[in-house]
Amino acid sequence: MTSKEHIIGRRLSRGDGLLKQLWQDPLGRAGFLGIALIILLAVFAPLIARYDVAQINARSRLAAPSITYWFGTDNFGRDIFSRIIYGARVSLIVGLVSVGIAAGIGYLFGLAAGYFEGRVESAIMMLMDIIFAFPSILLALLIVAVLGTSVVNTMIAIGIVNIPVFARTVRASVKAVKGTDYIANARSVGLKNGAILLRHITPNALAPFTVQATLALSGAILTEATMSFLGLGIQPPSPSWGSMLSEARTYMEIAPWMVVFPALFIILTILSFNILGDALRDALDPKLKL
Amino acid sequence: MKKTLSVLLALLMMLSLTALAQEPMVLKYGTDAEPIGFDPHTVPALASTRIMLQMYETLVDMDEDMNVIPRLAESWEQPDDLTYIFHLREGVKFHSGREMKAEDVKYSFERILSPDLGALGNSASYAGYIKEIEVVDEYTVKFVLEQINAPFLSALSSTYLAIVDKEAVEKNGGNLLQASGGTGPFTLGEWVPDNSVTVNRFADYWQEGVQFERIEFYVITDPSARMSALRTGEVDLIVGDSAMLTLAENANNVEIYKVRSRNYTTLCLNLNKEEFKDVRVRQAISLALNRQEIIDLAFNGEAEISGFAPASMGHWAVDVLNHPLYQQDIEKAKELMKEAGYENGFTVTCTVGLLDNIRNSGTVIQQQLAAIGITVEVQNKENAQYVDDWKAHNFELMVCQNGAGTDPNRAVAFFFSTTGSANIAEYSNPRVDELCELAAGTSNVDKRREYYHEAINIILDECPNVTFASPYDYIYASTSLKGYAPNATNMVDFRAAYIEK
Amino acid sequence: MKNYIIRRVLMLVPILLGISIAIFLIMQLIPGDVVSGILGIEETPELRAMWEKKLGIDRPLVTQYLSWIGGVVRGDFGESFRTGAKVFPEILWRFSISAELAILACVVAWLIAFPLGILSALKRNSVIDRNVRVLALLGVSVPGFAFATLLILFMALVFGYYPPIKYVSLLENPLKNLEIMIFPAIVLGSSMAGSVMRMTRSSLLEVLRQDFIKAVRATGAPERVTIMRHAFRNASIPIVTLVGMQIGILMGGTVVIEQIFSIPGLGQYLLTGIFQRDFPIVQGTVLFMAVIYVLINLLVDILYTYIDPRITYS
Repeated sequence: MTSKEHIIGRRLSRGDGLLKQLWQDPLGRAGFLGIALIILLAVFAPLIARYDVAQINARSRLAAPSITYWFGTDNFGRDIFSRIIYGARVSLIVGLVSVGIAAGIGYLFGLAAGYFEGRVESAIMMLMDIIFAFPSILLALLIVAVLGTSVVNTMIAIGIVNIPVFARTVRASVKAVKGTDYIANARSVGLKNGAILLRHITPNALAPFTVQATLALSGAILTEATMSFLGLGIQPPSPSWGSMLSEARTYMEIAPWMVVFPALFIILTILSFNILGDALRDALDPKLKL
Repeated sequence: MKKTLSVLLALLMMLSLTALAQEPMVLKYGTDAEPIGFDPHTVPALASTRIMLQMYETLVDMDEDMNVIPRLAESWEQPDDLTYIFHLREGVKFHSGREMKAEDVKYSFERILSPDLGALGNSASYAGYIKEIEVVDEYTVKFVLEQINAPFLSALSSTYLAIVDKEAVEKNGGNLLQASGGTGPFTLGEWVPDNSVTVNRFADYWQEGVQFERIEFYVITDPSARMSALRTGEVDLIVGDSAMLTLAENANNVEIYKVRSRNYTTLCLNLNKEEFKDVRVRQAISLALNRQEIIDLAFNGEAEISGFAPASMGHWAVDVLNHPLYQQDIEKAKELMKEAGYENGFTVTCTVGLLDNIRNSGTVIQQQLAAIGITVEVQNKENAQYVDDWKAHNFELMVCQNGAGTDPNRAVAFFFSTTGSANIAEYSNPRVDELCELAAGTSNVDKRREYYHEAINIILDECPNVTFASPYDYIYASTSLKGYAPNATNMVDFRAAYIEK
Repeated sequence: MKNYIIRRVLMLVPILLGISIAIFLIMQLIPGDVVSGILGIEETPELRAMWEKKLGIDRPLVTQYLSWIGGVVRGDFGESFRTGAKVFPEILWRFSISAELAILACVVAWLIAFPLGILSALKRNSVIDRNVRVLALLGVSVPGFAFATLLILFMALVFGYYPPIKYVSLLENPLKNLEIMIFPAIVLGSSMAGSVMRMTRSSLLEVLRQDFIKAVRATGAPERVTIMRHAFRNASIPIVTLVGMQIGILMGGTVVIEQIFSIPGLGQYLLTGIFQRDFPIVQGTVLFMAVIYVLINLLVDILYTYIDPRITYS
């Protein structure tokens, strides 16, 4: 285990090699392309979108896909194509920010727990256990209920729920590296705690951490969709894919395009992240268990 | 061998046929929310009321046109404005088998008025003005009120004032949440939480003709799943949803029941907000709205343009279709905004929540008000938070759905008099207050109507809220369900209903 | 070993205490309260005061917490504010349903994932491997509620079929019960299959590379037998881990699916409790779920020692 983690760390620090390896794997390439497409859509949304996402129009209500409305219109007569494009922004931002929150805090917690051990470790891990023991979707709902419904609060809620996974992953890597000689060597040459953490342990924890982050991203987008279904996700008129999909359910039969397109884009995005994550794990180490 | 086999087969077939014939008639009802117990005095939730209405009865009932008609009381008289004497129907039995008598009516109202139950009927809108309840004889009971209260008689038709069995209450530790202690045609059977509630036919029910052996209420929260359950015949009747109307129309085994509701959806303005203190701004908002567009987009077209005294209130209603403030006129609205000093508009938040059509209305209103320079930020609240904000008057604009109730006292005084407990706009007009008092203080129907109409017209002009729609209620049922005639007063009366094989 | 178990069980106490305080405080922080829900539009200050007194929420917070936790210690989780029903028996009943659903979902997930995982490991880096992996990941990528509604609609339109809506327990009528549970289990199971498949694959890969497999192969034993007997046993540790984790997730993660299929599970109970601010339900259910979560993880850790004698705890 130990030497393996070490190797992965080094391999990942030579990022170009890994990227190349990923690109050579058809799955990795598919994942990359899928994510790149979504990112492009999000970045250039104002250029791509054909209509104002909020513009309602009673006359064009529930129109089927056509040359005017590529993906049809919804129950407010809004252009679904434009909403999907802007929805990419919302979904990606929600994913990135919430995973950023989770990864950042989780990383610090995991590092501290793994490095200091003893009281610090048990206190942190107990806190993580407490968070983890709540079913995640319900904890996220509770947090949003406390904070109030808004985009920021949704991201905070999904972020908090994901902290323990990162903390655990990082702690495990830290502990694995700690046992090795070279930490003892670093100590013996007089390196301070902080320096050791930064210089030696962090690179080694990065591999499983990256994989975890890719997975958490897809999980976050899915969680947001589910929260929207339960009425506490991103609020209208913000065009998040999750809220579009959950609003569309009642029109599923009379206007299937309202369901099909948001669903397609959610699936495409999550699948891309998952495939990339899978390929990444395979590239780093096929035996990596997460 | 062959012969015996065929004889056997024939026998089997006959057996199964008789089994079919004897199969009890059951109504399967697809409801949209889990009930929260069945104590009529303490549970207001609609999901519960649907079921409680099968189990409990009130002294009087109300027909489609809001006339008070007999139920447990066969007749009543009013010797003076403060006194009501009810003559009870004889031979009515509680589910326990005991006969319901005047003592029980007295007990029920004492329970409602007791200081520690927290009964919903223990307020001025319902039983609050009762001073004295007297058992005259076994089948006669007399109520004396503290002050004249014209809405009293119609309030008696509310489940909050249902007649309950004292013994059942006592046997169940003081509450009827999971028991049935009424006189209704059905008694409470099995309750499987988050799944189903069964009510069984009460054999000793005082009225003949109840055909269903039991009614099974199934909680199917997803409207699309509910529709699927109806179309596959898994349930016989569902709580409708206007988004499903097209599907219901296209299905050949589905009957659509469309009912004018007594609810209306309205945009409430908080008059404590500086801009809304100016009546011109409020009128401008009313003029800026295209009500038909809101209905088309937020209600799937299934509502009618309405004021806060909707057409379902019969002769109490005021027609708003020709009211000048109900005609969209952006130019005039802009002019009013300019006069009020808000030529460049202002920003305001709008709280929505609870129901899809409330949320959707918010989206449309946001767009429509932009035309006169008002920037609306829609805030969708979680249910409990929405209710809390409503109670605390914590909002600037709020889309609400209100029930106009069974008496104009509810529709007008409750929502718009200075002391009205649902006056969330904090509107205050001395003339309206005066008219409300005058109207509650007389039982002369013509006089009352005159007072209320004047009050309603004042409120319509001053726009403490801007009402736009009264949604229709929909029930979708199997075409084999017969004898069912829902109306705004009671959508769940199955006493005369049956399923035709 | 015994000491280890005792220590782990003792560790439960501070965790549960922490959770109980956390959930109690969160419920206080949530805006809106149960009385608003009960009284709705009929609320008056007098009625509110009556209800607060009746429910005991007019007492100081510390008193409320202590009386609740005191009850919990004695096995009494209190009564629902809204329905008056005892919380603990209802939790147990609902747990049995959620657990059944979780187990069925796991079975579905395994049925999908094991064959795919084995296939994918044996044909590593081939076209088959890649297709199988994408297929397994597809299940994780569809929002459960969308899959569930589509499934119901599909069955209704194509077969005119709707799963039985009246819930019956497994003991009452096993067949009917299965008919009710199988569709939600398929929806949930397919969302779990991806990670199980991944784990099966990677474990197998690791084992296949080890020397003793080569040794077994060298003895000339048929390939299939080799894989089944040796590899699988060695691969089962991470799979057990995963199963432990997923049962924990399933406890509450089923809520949306339960709602759509009208199944009275634990997740729905908690959700209703949260929405209605029914404190005893929320507090009781969260605490119960935490206990189950911790116990399952303990069980998983103990299982390790049986599967792999090299693992010991001190």
